[in-house]
Amino acid sequence: MTRPHQTSQSAADMIRNTALAFVAAAAFAAPALPAFAQNAPDPGAPNIAGVWMLEGDHSTVKTLDGKLPPMNKEAAAKYKAAVAARKAGKPTDPLNQCLPHGVPRLLFSAYPVEVLQEKDQVSFVHEVNHTPRLVYLGAQLPPPEERDQNWFGFSAGRWDGDTLVVDTAGFNDITTIDRAGVPHSTDMVVNERIRLIDNGQRLEDVITVTDPKTFTKPWSTRITFVKKPGYRLQQYVCTDKNPEAAAP
Amino acid sequence: MRHLRASLAVIAIAGFAPCFAAAQPAPAPARPAPELPKPIYRPQFSSMENKRDLSGVWFIRDYNRRFRTPMGTLPPFTPLGRQEWEKRVKAEEEGKPYADASTYCWPHGTPRVMNSPYPIQFIHSPGKITIIHEVAHNVRHIWMDEPMPKDVPVTFQGYSVGHWDGDVLVVETKGVDPRTWIDEEGIIHSDQLYVVERIRKIENGETLENEITITDPVYFTRPWVKRITYSWRPDIRIAEYVCEENNRNAPVDGRTVAK
Repeated sequence: MTRPHQTSQSAADMIRNTALAFVAAAAFAAPALPAFAQNAPDPGAPNIAGVWMLEGDHSTVKTLDGKLPPMNKEAAAKYKAAVAARKAGKPTDPLNQCLPHGVPRLLFSAYPVEVLQEKDQVSFVHEVNHTPRLVYLGAQLPPPEERDQNWFGFSAGRWDGDTLVVDTAGFNDITTIDRAGVPHSTDMVVNERIRLIDNGQRLEDVITVTDPKTFTKPWSTRITFVKKPGYRLQQYVCTDKNPEAAAP
Repeated sequence: MRHLRASLAVIAIAGFAPCFAAAQPAPAPARPAPELPKPIYRPQFSSMENKRDLSGVWFIRDYNRRFRTPMGTLPPFTPLGRQEWEKRVKAEEEGKPYADASTYCWPHGTPRVMNSPYPIQFIHSPGKITIIHEVAHNVRHIWMDEPMPKDVPVTFQGYSVGHWDGDVLVVETKGVDPRTWIDEEGIIHSDQLYVVERIRKIENGETLENEITITDPVYFTRPWVKRITYSWRPDIRIAEYVCEENNRNAPVDGRTVAK
């Protein structure tokens, strides 16, 4: 803006030059801003985007009142067998074969998760074994008879005020709900109520599991995540750490 | 996976039928109803509105497991590049193919991951573009408007930085693990691989073009280009693909084994 021979500026020049700089900056920035405007989150929706880290150890899931989930007789026997197998050094955990965590177990991972927020989709990209979980806002769960049996099910979400409500169903029965080995059936439905707490510094997820074939009644647990500003997901490749696992 | 698609399609048709009905003008008499379009999961979005908005699902067009230059020729191999490629082609002909990263259920690496017959989804967020690949839950992170660091850690996908050159997304990638290949047939790379992708929407936003320039002085005498196009597919959602489950081709001693 200033020519080399100028040694001082008048106040008017400074104001003009500053204004020009702003105009120039705006002109440069303007095309970049609406790059994803079409699918940008609704301005009214809470902003839960960013990287989050689970608080506490949830390898043995506990209900809101601190108890084991209310398993029926058959499920309790399976659970007992899984605990015994682990104690005997022969764990039956599918994660040892690098198989997926499933839901809700993925939420109990001790590795960070990056939340990407769009108008019609919230994506949870987990560091553990580079696992994306895609939640479709405004979508509906398929009726029970049309549900597939997937590792992560199908996730339908919606905003309920300040809370992201996610319903997930359509699971296989290979995964367990926690590391300890709480089982579930293919009929399981997982409801999550996710919201910012502590002035947006933490994320709360209240998880309710309904599975009449496994539990005597629906039960809930609560987990919290703390924000990790600036953290970038690292590489985590289970089959590289564990080359035997990819082999059947 | 196919069944999931089918069942979702039924729901989507049921869910969106009123929208289509409402959008139609008064029906013309004595004409069979036109076939309903495929379910559109994102009817509210158009790929044409903003050339810098790549968000959404794209599906490779004219998939070919072999990388060739736009002239249809092999890349400009160094003698070593040629030798390594021939070794792999021969092994495959003999029924004992060498195993690449994908066979181990590792991430596929760049640019190999951009060439798979499964859909990919671009997601924009402040400061980055994330690509979710259906195949083997590959994920790419592209850091926008940052310089390439001097020393990048070696990872399967490599370290990617991007910027806009007009309406072209330019993505530079370095630090790609040499255990990944460039294509599925036998073009490999060293730790000196440098990939520049120029990604832009063409054909009124219905097509995404990726012009990939591959530089690696160990295996190629000069940079060369591979061009891939993808179709805009708002009728597709990324499905589950778990390589780790029933890997029929788990390698034994570095060779792919059919089971």
